[in-house]
Amino acid sequence: MITVKIFGVARLRAGTGTFECDENDVKNVDELLNRIPNTTRKEARDLVLLVNGKPAGRRHRLEDGDEVVLLAPAGGG
Amino acid sequence: MATEYGGYMGKVLQINLTKQEVSEYPFTDEERRLFIGGKTMAAKILGDHLTGKEKAFSEENLLVITTGPMTGSGAPSSSRFNISTLSPQTGYITSSNCGGHFGYYLKKAGLDALILTGRCDRPTWIEINNEKVIFHDADGIWGMKTGETQAALDDKLRLKNGRVRKNGKICIGPAGENLVLYSCIVSNERVSGRGGTGAVMGWMRLKAVCASGNKEVQVHDKEKMVRHTQKWFRYLRKHPLTGSQLPKLGTAGLVSAMQMKHILSTKNYTYGQYDDFEKVSGEELAEKYNIVNKGCLTCPIRCARTVEVNGQQVKGPELETLVLLGGGILNNDLESIFKWNYELDELGLDTISCANTISYAMEANEKGLWDNGLKFSETEDLSKIFEDIAYRRGIGDELAQGSRRLSEKYGGKDFAIHAKGMELAAYEPRKAVGLGLGYATSNRGGCHLNGGYLVILEGLGLSMDQTTYHAKGDLTMLFQDLMEMISASGQCLFTSYAFFPTPLMNHPNAWYTKMVNRILPYTGPVVRIINKFPEIACFHLPVFHHTKGFEYTTGMKMTFGDYIRCGERGFNLEREVNRRFGVNANKDALPKRLTQTLQDPKDPDSKVPLEKLKKVYYHARGWDKDGLPAKRLLKKLKISEGADI
Repeated sequence: MITVKIFGVARLRAGTGTFECDENDVKNVDELLNRIPNTTRKEARDLVLLVNGKPAGRRHRLEDGDEVVLLAPAGGG
Repeated sequence: MATEYGGYMGKVLQINLTKQEVSEYPFTDEERRLFIGGKTMAAKILGDHLTGKEKAFSEENLLVITTGPMTGSGAPSSSRFNISTLSPQTGYITSSNCGGHFGYYLKKAGLDALILTGRCDRPTWIEINNEKVIFHDADGIWGMKTGETQAALDDKLRLKNGRVRKNGKICIGPAGENLVLYSCIVSNERVSGRGGTGAVMGWMRLKAVCASGNKEVQVHDKEKMVRHTQKWFRYLRKHPLTGSQLPKLGTAGLVSAMQMKHILSTKNYTYGQYDDFEKVSGEELAEKYNIVNKGCLTCPIRCARTVEVNGQQVKGPELETLVLLGGGILNNDLESIFKWNYELDELGLDTISCANTISYAMEANEKGLWDNGLKFSETEDLSKIFEDIAYRRGIGDELAQGSRRLSEKYGGKDFAIHAKGMELAAYEPRKAVGLGLGYATSNRGGCHLNGGYLVILEGLGLSMDQTTYHAKGDLTMLFQDLMEMISASGQCLFTSYAFFPTPLMNHPNAWYTKMVNRILPYTGPVVRIINKFPEIACFHLPVFHHTKGFEYTTGMKMTFGDYIRCGERGFNLEREVNRRFGVNANKDALPKRLTQTLQDPKDPDSKVPLEKLKKVYYHARGWDKDGLPAKRLLKKLKISEGADI
């Protein structure tokens, strides 16, 4: 199972902070981007991607137990 | 003293509290052109009076309250005012930029600035209405908390028809009255938080200042300014940071991004990540608790949150408070932070310094250096501790001195997280080393904003290499100077985030954004040229609306290069005044935890290479090895003549 966590304004848009995907349904990050609730593929492609805490590209292959984080750039404090 | 420039009211009042005398303070147009307003104008006034021998709690100190020419001009986020004084916390001059209404109403009263000196013989509050100053006995309100004080003052300003006269006010709470070294000044729900300005006001026995009037700010070119302002508002509303992230999540929205980048200070800056960060995040606040967004006058960003505490709608916590009273003390209860945030504002305590002092005390207790009963993650009694600090009771009397003084008494200097005596903000700098340099060199002490806020390049807005020292000395100087000038002009620093082109923020995975991230560490020489010869930037940048707005408001010529130069002048002026109080390279320091202990034992770069960074930074600034501005530089910046130094 792959755990997906969404933060920042992307989470408000998605309406959920976390969901899970079966590793057999999504081979890589690129395929995962089609599954984010209430988010178009174009919007999803503009999120910062981390897999298991490390920056990853869209072709990054996903495996069982991976945690994918999606967040938007932020500033101001 | 009238002025030929728009945006200014042309009058500065000096109020001697000891004698209850009011006089006009001469401030010429030449000085306005050089020292603009806000913190730079205040530094000029302080520099003209302070010799280096004065103490914060003395009749020789001044509390200088300034607006900028943009304050009340109608430009976006332009309600700001500044309070500067010799800080009892750091021993250097501090400046504190605040939103709310007071700056706007000070100008409605016909004034650009107030200079307060001396000490009242009994508690007093001051009413200023259309340049007229009235001293009132504050016996009835002395001792009140800040909310109660402001309500009582509104009652006193009630007109015959029962309505409250429109006014802006500043006041102190019990913490300021009792000279807590990090007490703040409160204006509505906004706070002039840092450096202990509240304690100086308390020492002066001045409870509050209320300003009102019907004067209008005259803008130099109203027609052009109106058109420009409309365009500026649209730009800010469309920008992903100022138009989406800050309105939707507030500053609290940064918690999760900081967690991912390992810059979320946790357990007194021991770690850069907090396991329970989601429970105290901006998303949690927005989804479950935020009632309505609030903003200062003329602000399209509206970053303030509103939450409920004990059935009452109150201001929600900012990022700093959320992090430092969350993961900073290993507390994952968001509602407790709402309550404490409200209580600290009511008592008049700076939430950043207070939280860091508490976390220092917890660690000192844990390490057996100081048996004080405070423990990480055991936070049930914190409300009482805050009251004890404000009223200087028991352990609170010691905590009221801040972490630097406590570490000198009990030990643990390595983990007393401050710079120049002022506790650091919530960003853990070992994975944002440029911000580490900013903390160390900030004129007022451990401040992320006065420090240049380089963290926006180091993982938040952009993704520059977080631990490299390359280019960060030069970039820190550029950002410090830009923010210095935005503050001096009377605008909110958050307007500067729109400086980053929208495509870079909207498309972090695009080839051009990745290229910018890769190139940034190599931009040092180019940035050095801009810093050294800003006159070559003799144009307006399409993404930086401040310069044209400043020109249309004041009538002064202000290109991007001029803007940077004014910021550089302000930063160096504060540094030069601080030199008289002993600032030098040794004082630009961080605790050893941040410079010698690795955040990640597997990553040899996860500490702040401060000496390397300082060397480049001093060279970029034209400072000598002792970290002091060369005389030639002061002359070039017209500080030596203008500031009588």
